[in-house]
Amino acid sequence: MVTKVLLCAVFLVVEIFGDTKTDEDNCDLSGKWLESIKVTRDIWKMGFHRELVTTVECGPSSPEKLQTLLVQNLPRGVYIDPYQLASLQQDTGLQVVLDSEVDLEAPAYESNGLFMFVYPTRDLQHPRHLQAVVPIHGRYHRPSSGQGWEQLEIEPPRLFLRANGCAQLLPAPHVLMDAPCSGYNLSMCKWMEIQLPQDQRNISLELPVGNQSLLVPVCTGTLLATLLCCVIIANAIWRHGFL
Amino acid sequence: MDWIMITFLRKWSLFTFAFFIRVVLVVFGVYQDKTMVVKYTDIDYHVFTDASQFITEGASPYRRATYRYTPLLAWLLTPNIYLTPVFGKLLFVTCDVVSSYLTYGILRGRGMSCQAACSYCSLWLLNPLPMGVSSRGNAESLLAVLVLSMLSCMERRHLAKAAFFYGLSVHMKIYPVTYALPLALSLRTREQANVGETTVPMGRRLARFLLGLLNRDVLQFFVIAGGVFCGLTLLFYHMYGWEFLQETYLYHLTRRDIRHNFSPYFYMLYLTAESSWSLALGLAAFLPQLALLLLTSLAFHSDLALCCFLHTAIFVSFNKVCTSQYFLWYLCLLPLVLPRLMLSLKQGLGLLVLWFAGQAIWLAPAYYLEFEGQNTFVLIWIAGLLFLAINTFILVQIISHYKQEDIHHCQKLD
Repeated sequence: MVTKVLLCAVFLVVEIFGDTKTDEDNCDLSGKWLESIKVTRDIWKMGFHRELVTTVECGPSSPEKLQTLLVQNLPRGVYIDPYQLASLQQDTGLQVVLDSEVDLEAPAYESNGLFMFVYPTRDLQHPRHLQAVVPIHGRYHRPSSGQGWEQLEIEPPRLFLRANGCAQLLPAPHVLMDAPCSGYNLSMCKWMEIQLPQDQRNISLELPVGNQSLLVPVCTGTLLATLLCCVIIANAIWRHGFL
Repeated sequence: MDWIMITFLRKWSLFTFAFFIRVVLVVFGVYQDKTMVVKYTDIDYHVFTDASQFITEGASPYRRATYRYTPLLAWLLTPNIYLTPVFGKLLFVTCDVVSSYLTYGILRGRGMSCQAACSYCSLWLLNPLPMGVSSRGNAESLLAVLVLSMLSCMERRHLAKAAFFYGLSVHMKIYPVTYALPLALSLRTREQANVGETTVPMGRRLARFLLGLLNRDVLQFFVIAGGVFCGLTLLFYHMYGWEFLQETYLYHLTRRDIRHNFSPYFYMLYLTAESSWSLALGLAAFLPQLALLLLTSLAFHSDLALCCFLHTAIFVSFNKVCTSQYFLWYLCLLPLVLPRLMLSLKQGLGLLVLWFAGQAIWLAPAYYLEFEGQNTFVLIWIAGLLFLAINTFILVQIISHYKQEDIHHCQKLD
């Protein structure tokens, strides 16, 4: 009896596997479909706490099991809080993997840039859109004597695709890369790079910086004000203290 | 209205009610965290909890970036992992109420009526600031309990216990270390007042003064306090090594945060962060703080509660880094100072409004900088100086209207 059940189970597994296999053969990533892929970017919010929004728009006949990966470099003027990411992963399902430790407090001139894997998820309002909203935070910059703002450029991401079991998404040649399979599963998967149109531009944000030309008045003002306050308090203590 | 007042001024109903509101806030916090985008829980609470998580895994709490506290805190909060994530918040709100109970004990010990003591305690118990801070998961109330326990033991001359609490409080947060001088001065042997005092040469008076510091009480106090402090330091150094010293003590001593904060020095330190005279300016900023702390110790050590209050307020106002949590360090001592202040209710309220206005004036440009990206550095700097001026004015008012003898303000309640 037991053998019969086992045999049955094996048969079922083979059949399910077989089914997926036929599906996978229809990976159907034609050149036309690939051309329909568009990556758009935006920055939401103002000030030191922003959101980098990347949207991947796929054409109508995109495969169901298609997974996307964005490889994004960030300049050293901004950082990502890994603890905030962990909490967002629980709350909103945001999937981001960072490749290195992040100093949450260092100013820009003492930091390095960051490199992250972003896994956009399906936007419920637009079923053909895959979107990732990643919170980024501005670092303090060196004061300048110029405009009072520091402009930061965020370069476009590289786009990678993967479909379960589809070894041959595209006719060769194409670039394959090993990267974590998802934000939840850090084992390595093979990802295939999709060349985005050349017109992808940097997106930029501005952060306020201190005014270096005010150095002398600020130092003088601060020291005089604190000294004055110190003398006023000392005088009160001298007059009313139990000395 | 009268029956509300009478109910609140009954000790147990006041303390129970204060605890109840705090528990409601903790529960509301859980609800808000689950349902809203803006979270109720403070970021520090997550830091504590993550550090406790590392402790339960047998690892160092300092593996959590920005954990800059004693490992004792992470140990204390391990029930956050084993029992419930709100354990720490319940502990902090309990400490909040306990600290006020200690204040109550001190005021009663001075001979104040139950009603009057309750009315002063209600300034802390029904104050939205400590309520919010501890129910959001900040650990400041632990320090309030330790400092008030120390003061309470000092008033009852339980020196060994006071020393224990003092050593522990310096270990938990470094700032009470400044109380060492007033504590030593208050324990020293006092000279007999002679008629010919003024004719004694200065050198001999100084020698007598210093010798007065070498008595049994002072030695006992500092041996016990030092023992607790060094014992804990050695234990944790043995367990977690250099990282512990760096994060718990050295970071706070050498901290120079260039990001905007309430400190009057923030913009100067930001503009000079990389300059070669940054060290000299840091020292220049330290001198007023040091001078005022020394002077306060000499002038007010005979009234420890007032002295600790002034010490902390001066330390925080003139510090190189200042955030709103620091205000609680001296606010918890305010109910001990207020009964001896000869200020009318109107004047007192005026000072309170002024203090909050100073913060509001700072918060507006800080908001525009941080969340709107406007370049408001100069405004924040001016607001920081204005806040220092307001704090100076309030301190001068307190110093000049303080009377050392007890004044009972029972008539206020009628």
